[in-house]
Amino acid sequence: MQRTFPLILVFIFGILGIIPFIVPHPSVQHTDEFLRNDLLRILAAFALVLGLGSLLRVHFDKIQHHRENWQYSWVLLITFFLTSIIGLFGGVAGTGPLPTKIGNFHFDIQTIYLNVEVPLGATMFALLSFFMASAAYRSFRARSTEATLLLLSAFIVMIGILPLGNQISPKLPSFAQWIMDVPNVAGKRGIAFGIALGSLATALKILLGIERSWLGGGE
Amino acid sequence: MKIFDLMLKIDRRIIYLVLAVVVILPLVIPSAQHVRVMPPVEKLFTAVDTIHSDKVLMIDFDYDPQTQPELEPMALAILRHAFNKRIKVLGLSLYVQPLGLAKSAFDQVISEYNSTAKTYEDSIIYGRDYVFLGWQPPPLVPILGMGESITNVYKKDYYGNQTDTLPLMKKIKNYNQVELLISISSGDPPLWWVGYAQNRFGLKVGVGCTAVSASDYYPYLQTGQFSGLMVGMKGAAEYEELVESRLNIYKRRKASEALPSLTYAHLVMMAFIIIGNIGYFIKRRQK
Repeated sequence: MQRTFPLILVFIFGILGIIPFIVPHPSVQHTDEFLRNDLLRILAAFALVLGLGSLLRVHFDKIQHHRENWQYSWVLLITFFLTSIIGLFGGVAGTGPLPTKIGNFHFDIQTIYLNVEVPLGATMFALLSFFMASAAYRSFRARSTEATLLLLSAFIVMIGILPLGNQISPKLPSFAQWIMDVPNVAGKRGIAFGIALGSLATALKILLGIERSWLGGGE
Repeated sequence: MKIFDLMLKIDRRIIYLVLAVVVILPLVIPSAQHVRVMPPVEKLFTAVDTIHSDKVLMIDFDYDPQTQPELEPMALAILRHAFNKRIKVLGLSLYVQPLGLAKSAFDQVISEYNSTAKTYEDSIIYGRDYVFLGWQPPPLVPILGMGESITNVYKKDYYGNQTDTLPLMKKIKNYNQVELLISISSGDPPLWWVGYAQNRFGLKVGVGCTAVSASDYYPYLQTGQFSGLMVGMKGAAEYEELVESRLNIYKRRKASEALPSLTYAHLVMMAFIIIGNIGYFIKRRQK
């Protein structure tokens, strides 16, 4: 029963998810609306609680057992609780019951977000360009005909999208656009069909209980 | 042939340094670069420009701090376009992280307009001209739910107002009153909008995406499932170009200002790849 019940649930809710796309009857649509707007949100709320619980447990465990880089877990936990308190009782823009302003110094969620999360996130992503440049230099070699074609088309697209491309020749941006519109679309569409058919087959296997690896246990 | 060995083994710190210099220097003295507008952006501009007065433009702000430099200029350009043409706007995010950035994009463009407005009628007023719906998890719920009723999904807006009490929302029930949705995103949301809102409710979808996502989206543009496409910094600069040349809106063009850095960074990467390949071929011939 431990394994059969989840399989029955998946089958029922899988079918219920498909029917509203085919049957426009109001009763079917209203049922679908209830499932999505109410039931799905309740489930999502549970998932959020589980996720946060799991995050806290992992980091408390890391601190307790002094695992590698355990000191950073303190940073995570302290900031987690601080921002949670500010967010819950101070409001996003500092309009809650908890004061989030000392003199001219604001520490509401929007201020923290714009002054901490935005610069940190942007910095992390900006660093990627340096690694990409280094990796491209090391690995982008014209070793075969296919690699040479890839290299050439990459160069044409790179120059073509830049204002410089239009200055070299007005035909260059159009050619770069053609590469994106025709050969790229042809390749992407083939890949998309493959993925779609694969997803459909996997979804059917899960709905019909043939694929059971998601239940765990390795069977 | 020490030089060819060197060509194959340039220290990564040298690459980092050269790249940093060519990216930072043009940003120190910013100057907006003019660009040629390509058909995908032209299509998106026309789609926004032709929105009927009784319909609204919906913008899904789904960019985070990581992709803000590429995608925020798109949001600003579209908002400037919409408010200049007095098109009503509904804003939302499918994730929680972009909310702060969406709010600051709205605040910036609205303060630009309202600082020059002479009367209440000229001003952009919250609830009358635009509504920021905020965020409702999980993403599929608002996408499908708004096809039935927007105020049922977003009972309260981002600022905590009852949405059904806002003047704009009294005229808007569901996607029937939304002429175009623009998803400004660094991930899959544009495909969800097509998969669920367009297939089921016929919603027109326009997209602003990062340069790395572009190749995934061209098939949808070709089939007409996307009403237009803005790709990366260049796409944002093209939209800025149209906003300036067609609507005479002369504001700071962040994407156009970033283009010199982008140009030099691309050229440097290409130069390093060429150097690496020359070294590789000569070494291979020697063997």
